[in-house]
Amino acid sequence: MAKTYDYLFKLLLIGDSGVGKTSILFRFSEDAFNISFISTIGIDFKIRTIDLDGKKVKLQIWDTAGQERFRTITTAYYRGSMGIMLVYDVTNEKSFENIKNWIRNIEENASADVEKMILGNKCDLEAKRQVSKERGEQLAVEYQIKFIETSAKDSLNVESAFYTLARDIKAKMEKKQEASNPAGARSGAHQIRANEQQRKPTSWLSRCSLL
Amino acid sequence: MSRSSSVEDLPEQCKDLFTQDGVLLKACLGRPVTDLNSIGMLCIVQNQDNSKTIEWRPNDLITIDSDTQDQEWAVVNTIGITMSFAKGRRQRTLSGNITSDYATARARIIKIPIEELKTFRVTRNNQQMQFSTKPGVWQTTFYFQHGNAEIFVAYLKNHVKTAKTRHDRNTYVVVEPNIESQVLNKSFAELDIFTENTTDVVWNLVSNFKQRPYETTMEAFSKLTDIVYYGNEGVNGKRDVSEEVVDLLTKSMNAMEEATTVTKSDEYEVISVKPTLPPRPSIPRGTPLSPEKWWALQDTEGRITEVEGVKQLIFRGGVAHSIRQCVWKYLLDYHPWHMSNAELKALTKKKTEEYFSMKLQWRSMTEGQEARFSEYRDRKSLVEKDVNRTDRTHPFFAGDNNPNLVILQDILLTYVMYNFDLGYVQGMSDILAPLLLLLGNEVDSFWCFVGFMDKIASNFDMDQAGMKHQLLQLQQLLTFASPELANHLAQKDSGNMYFCFRWLLVWFKREFSHRDIMRLWEVLWTSLPCANFHLLICVAILDAEKDILISKDYGFTEILKHVNDLSMCLDVDKILSTAEGIYHQVVSAPHLTDQIRIILGLPTMSNSTSTHSGSDAPTTSKSETNGTKEDQGTGMFGQEMDEDTLEYNGLQICIVTKTVWALLA
Ligand SMILES: Nc1nc2c(ncn2[C@@H]2O[C@H](COP(=O)(O)OP(=O)(O)OP(=O)(O)O)[C@@H](O)[C@H]2O)c(=O)[nH]1
Ligand SMILES: [Mg+2]
Repeated sequence: MAKTYDYLFKLLLIGDSGVGKTSILFRFSEDAFNISFISTIGIDFKIRTIDLDGKKVKLQIWDTAGQERFRTITTAYYRGSMGIMLVYDVTNEKSFENIKNWIRNIEENASADVEKMILGNKCDLEAKRQVSKERGEQLAVEYQIKFIETSAKDSLNVESAFYTLARDIKAKMEKKQEASNPAGARSGAHQIRANEQQRKPTSWLSRCSLL
Repeated sequence: MSRSSSVEDLPEQCKDLFTQDGVLLKACLGRPVTDLNSIGMLCIVQNQDNSKTIEWRPNDLITIDSDTQDQEWAVVNTIGITMSFAKGRRQRTLSGNITSDYATARARIIKIPIEELKTFRVTRNNQQMQFSTKPGVWQTTFYFQHGNAEIFVAYLKNHVKTAKTRHDRNTYVVVEPNIESQVLNKSFAELDIFTENTTDVVWNLVSNFKQRPYETTMEAFSKLTDIVYYGNEGVNGKRDVSEEVVDLLTKSMNAMEEATTVTKSDEYEVISVKPTLPPRPSIPRGTPLSPEKWWALQDTEGRITEVEGVKQLIFRGGVAHSIRQCVWKYLLDYHPWHMSNAELKALTKKKTEEYFSMKLQWRSMTEGQEARFSEYRDRKSLVEKDVNRTDRTHPFFAGDNNPNLVILQDILLTYVMYNFDLGYVQGMSDILAPLLLLLGNEVDSFWCFVGFMDKIASNFDMDQAGMKHQLLQLQQLLTFASPELANHLAQKDSGNMYFCFRWLLVWFKREFSHRDIMRLWEVLWTSLPCANFHLLICVAILDAEKDILISKDYGFTEILKHVNDLSMCLDVDKILSTAEGIYHQVVSAPHLTDQIRIILGLPTMSNSTSTHSGSDAPTTSKSETNGTKEDQGTGMFGQEMDEDTLEYNGLQICIVTKTVWALLA
């Protein structure tokens, strides 16, 4: 079967139970929100192909169970992931504090150069907020990771978050390929042309999220 | 129900149960053309009076909230094809400041009360959906930008009962608004179609197994059940069915004797060929244990004496729905089988008191105490999160402020007190929900839950050792029963069987409908025909997918996806029957290993007292006491015979099938 995409990126959603990982993924893959979701047991993934600077990028996004106990199983699926969304719930202090543990968890189980991003989800629930946006930003600065607040329910920034992560991975990949193979003349599904390096439009990002 | 506050506390009167963005209005009777082709959101809304509506809202109702909407992001969003409409917050949530623009936009909302919905259809490759409340006219047509109308249909089906029309696979006719309990009762009535006569035959068969196990070969068994299921009409009235049983038994007996002698001389050849499993016997399912039978099984004091027989019946056909409430308490070790009614009454009283004293322990905790008790708080917050996400599409747990959710939560919190070390682990609410739904009583549900948890507690080990152990055992069983598939999985980095994790953790709860999971669980609770039969259920499901997995050369991710997507597409009776067939194949295989024996709880070779003597070895005393003509068979597979083995009906069958294997070899 012919490949219908130029790149395949494996992404991963992690974070405490109930922060909204499955809801975020459902929003991104189906553009829908379901009030009666069930908790995730084990692991699953969804696919969505996006268009990034003229390239078809197939995102394979893995959704894991949040409860600590299942981590020995879920970490088996970290392998090979190129980007990780660390999700906390802005109405739940504990889930925010645990981001540090999740980062440690990544360091132990995922490849060192995996792209990361922190999401503060459920930002539609302003009245119940326990974690301010500033604290989220501060944490992100501390770890040098991009950060954005999202709402799976109101479809706020979910799309942008995935695009950002995908774009960063793509940029990193292209840079790597460039370095390892500077000659440039290549073709094929997972290859890129050298001149695309110039089209790396990341400048807007440094303004709205932190690096 | 503040303790399990649900999604949010907005002053909304109605609630969006499901929302799908990116839906264009393509056509709507009585609407100006200007309204068409605008993009919006299609929702399933629950109104204040619990009635439901399909609602389409144009996107102009959605405005950008400048407080939270980062303009930078808005610019970026246009990169995404769908972002121009997918952002922002719904004005609806900011009640009180409705602008006039907003009011006109509101008038453009389209509402279709689900009660009035007659038919709908999905066309154009999942991109178009049409609704009708009047036969013959499609009043509204929507275009799904993401081509995912099937998802909307899937959720809509939670609220209406539909049938597909014969001439058009894409058109659904609404039969009635879905009240699942009604659907359930109906299906159970449909299930009880078997006559009492048939049950008697099965019962006879079971007693035959008990009395003369060696004479009841697997072959005879499947022939018999064929008659029970397919030939009954022909026999009806002319001849007593049990005569038929005797006849067949005799016939198969004779056949067996002949074949055994023949095979005997070839013994070593048979064993030396490449170890393959004997053919899989097809074993039809039986009828559910009927109320009449159940009451008849009790003595005047209410004691149940024929425990093994009852379990056999339940293993064969499950339990009739009307007596599940009663029978499950026994199967889950809440009610001891040998207790009289009077004793049970006393027990219930004691257990009720015990339950409420444990419940009081957390109920009486002050806020301050709780604040200083982080371990309890953690468990409690996990419970709350999961209670809100457990079987909410089932009417019994649906809607806000549903008192059944409070009970679900109370039981789980009391269980935390009952077993604080284990506490609460995700998955437990899945285990409890069907019990509560069936029993409807807090105390009974709790103790039955305790009984179920005792059976599967190791699934929830802190280090997941129990799960890993089971996954390993599953892998070993699969290697034995379906080596080709096991090999494929190993090649594809899936030998750890992690993709079966969900199946095992909650005993297939997520894979079957509510109705089917009751059947599967009650069968598994009998612990028949062997230990770890649930692993053979896994093998049965996987074996049915073997051809797809191998021929399509599925890899690591495809395997996981394929297995996850089997959820709700599995036929419980077929799987039970296959699993039993595989069980017989496995235990009658000449190359059966101790590793497999241990998994299935069979006595191992090394522990066996009898020696593996030649084929002329004298028969063991056990065979003699059983007075069967199995001597030759026993001699041949003499090492398999063990005192323990003979005590259980399930295991007796296993010995018999070794002879069948000899027959068929
Ligand atoms: N208000 C609001 N609720 C949300 C949002 N995202 C998720 N939720 C709700 O939060 C609850 C948990 O969401 P899930 O998506 O199941 O959480 P999860 O992170 O996948 O949890 P696990 O599967 O247990 O790890 C559900 O009841 C959702 O409806 C959001 O953006 N806003
Ligand atoms: Mg989840």
